[in-house]
Amino acid sequence: MTPQTEMLDKFAAERDTRKARRFDRHTVSAVVVFALCVLLILASRLVSPSLGSFQQVLTVMTLASFLVVLSFGQGLVILTGGLDLSLPALITLGGVLTTTWIGNGPGAWYLLPAVLAVCGGVGLATAIGIVWLKVPPFIMTMATSIIVASAALGLTNGTPRGASPEILLLLMKGSYLGVPAPVYFLVVFAVAGWIVQSRTVLGRYLYALGTNREAAQIAGVPVTLVSILPYVVSAVCAGFVGMMLVGYANGATLRMGDNYLLPSIAAVVIGGSSILGGSGNFAGTVGGAILLTTVGTVIAAIGLEQGLRTIIEGAIILVALLLLREELFERLRGLSAKVKSAG
Amino acid sequence: MKHSRLMLGAALVAATFGLGAATTPVQAQDGKKFKIYLSLSYSGNAWQSEAANIVKALAATPPYNEMVELTEVISGTDPQGQISAYESMIEAGADGIVSFPISSTALNRTIRRGCDAGVLFFMYDATVTQPCVYNISYITSGFGENTAQALVNELGGKGKIFLSRGVPGNSVDKRHTDGALSVFQKYPGIEVAAEYYSYWDDRTTQQETAKALVAHPDVDGIWAQAGEYGAIQALLDKGGKLVPMTGENSNGFRLALADPAMQEKGLRGVSAGSPPAQSGYAFKLMMEILTKKRTLEPSNIEYPLPWVPADSVKVCEGETFENGCNAFPDGVVPSSFVTEVLDPVLLPELSIQSALNGTPVEGATIQPLPEEVKIGANEPGINCQDCEPPADLYRLTKIEPTVQP
Repeated sequence: MTPQTEMLDKFAAERDTRKARRFDRHTVSAVVVFALCVLLILASRLVSPSLGSFQQVLTVMTLASFLVVLSFGQGLVILTGGLDLSLPALITLGGVLTTTWIGNGPGAWYLLPAVLAVCGGVGLATAIGIVWLKVPPFIMTMATSIIVASAALGLTNGTPRGASPEILLLLMKGSYLGVPAPVYFLVVFAVAGWIVQSRTVLGRYLYALGTNREAAQIAGVPVTLVSILPYVVSAVCAGFVGMMLVGYANGATLRMGDNYLLPSIAAVVIGGSSILGGSGNFAGTVGGAILLTTVGTVIAAIGLEQGLRTIIEGAIILVALLLLREELFERLRGLSAKVKSAG
Repeated sequence: MKHSRLMLGAALVAATFGLGAATTPVQAQDGKKFKIYLSLSYSGNAWQSEAANIVKALAATPPYNEMVELTEVISGTDPQGQISAYESMIEAGADGIVSFPISSTALNRTIRRGCDAGVLFFMYDATVTQPCVYNISYITSGFGENTAQALVNELGGKGKIFLSRGVPGNSVDKRHTDGALSVFQKYPGIEVAAEYYSYWDDRTTQQETAKALVAHPDVDGIWAQAGEYGAIQALLDKGGKLVPMTGENSNGFRLALADPAMQEKGLRGVSAGSPPAQSGYAFKLMMEILTKKRTLEPSNIEYPLPWVPADSVKVCEGETFENGCNAFPDGVVPSSFVTEVLDPVLLPELSIQSALNGTPVEGATIQPLPEEVKIGANEPGINCQDCEPPADLYRLTKIEPTVQP
């Protein structure tokens, strides 16, 4: 027997024939996260009899729509190994520009793309700092955040004026067939986002870049362009969340984005993406965003002290993360294999 | 020997400081300006900017425009930032500091140092427990208990209610909530179904109320601190009825209270709470002391509680509070604008433009404040240390119970 055939035999013996492998682990993560959401909503009946209803699902989906859009951008940035801390400031910028230019001034709905373009421009500036000036993403996005937030403060003298344009009220307050419009929007956005991230060339490039920059470059990925794009997309998404919040609450404030930074990162990570980049899937992120919001609504209904509530909220998030760990799946799989061979 | 030299040095330093403090007003009259600092902890909501803007407007109104050099410092939400800001102001030879303090206790040591150096401290809205400052605040005026009684009256003494609170751990939030609970607990028919923190913000209030409504769609009333307009929005989002509620002074809430369409849906209640006008009152009091027009020892001074039930809402036609009006038309100001920033008696110099942009009103001059100041009650941990609160701390001042427990 030659060494080559020996080797080939060895490979053949080690070839993976397990069926479970056909589902990649990110799909499993996404399914598990959604299952957790359903479980939590059903279990919440124990907290209050009014919970666990379809109405609750609709409320959760409406409140989660902000986080889903935001964590799409954040997810792309994280996918390439970065982190975007400027999202709250850009939410505020999007909201403030929307109410000052359109809700209050002579402008009409067609200025909405202009607002998004300004946000995109800020994202571009951030990306230039990161890609060409080699400022670490953490620092660069923090700097952007401070500058943009201060600019919004200066621009408005502290009091953002104006109300929401009609079109945003339709998007956030409308209701068709008994289902709030933001729920439809969430579904469409989730599907579109999943396609962009998992089924397009751009998406593949992002994964390649996040996994191994040098290898991606050698493989012909336009590294500079692909490094810049996530920050622009992320900024545009944040600007759009600002608009959604304006429609939801019919006005802007300077602190409207403050509560969204950490949840945007948590949604991505709970959804099964690696915080170090290179792996993940948007379906999981959507599940993560919905799970976080579900936890929020259920916790809100528990009549406990705020401190205890926050502890429970943290514990649930931690348990969800631990449940989703890769090793756990491997171990379960190993366990079932052992059971089979024993039987 | 060494000791006595040290003592001499200390005495000299003290003398210099003392002399400095004593001669400042005289210097000011010689053409040198009073160095006044406006120290904010954070900025970014309508309330904070309005309060800061009216101080700027007053400092630019004659004759103060010739007498005051005003510097604004925003130091962020942590006490350390404000401590170092105060330190720098004291070093720079401030005559007075008008400030929204971030903590009622953390700044005390620095403030003491400033008082010893002859700096006047005027705190507005939030207070500190250091006895050498002037606390100008509505906090002793009974917002919590009075609004709670108003809600109980509207509900006929029974029903499921939400408490939409402020910032967890904040002494102001605790004072209001304790006051409110002192009333609610008297009525066994009142059930607090949900209690959540809304951070005095419209959007957070809206989202937190939406969450609470999922579990308790049959709520009968809402007791809210600032951010109350968000609670109305959350109820409207559900598409159903509105309920009686009490809240603070946002323009949106006042207009809603007076709106027949909203009343039709079940909205009733009262608008009360924290007025940004406190900052202007604090600044004017400080200037009267600096210019020796008034003598007043450091004390807790109570700012009157605004109290506007639905039938008292009156929309202003101009840009000031005239003829008893107390809200502005939709479109003139955003819904989150806090209306109680003007006052026809205490701050007649100002208009809505002053509140929005910090600009003085053309032709206006500073008018003297009423002679009387109202001393506020002791509130341990809020405006005094190691002090006893009066036995009737939570007594009702604005409303009588119409239902008995």
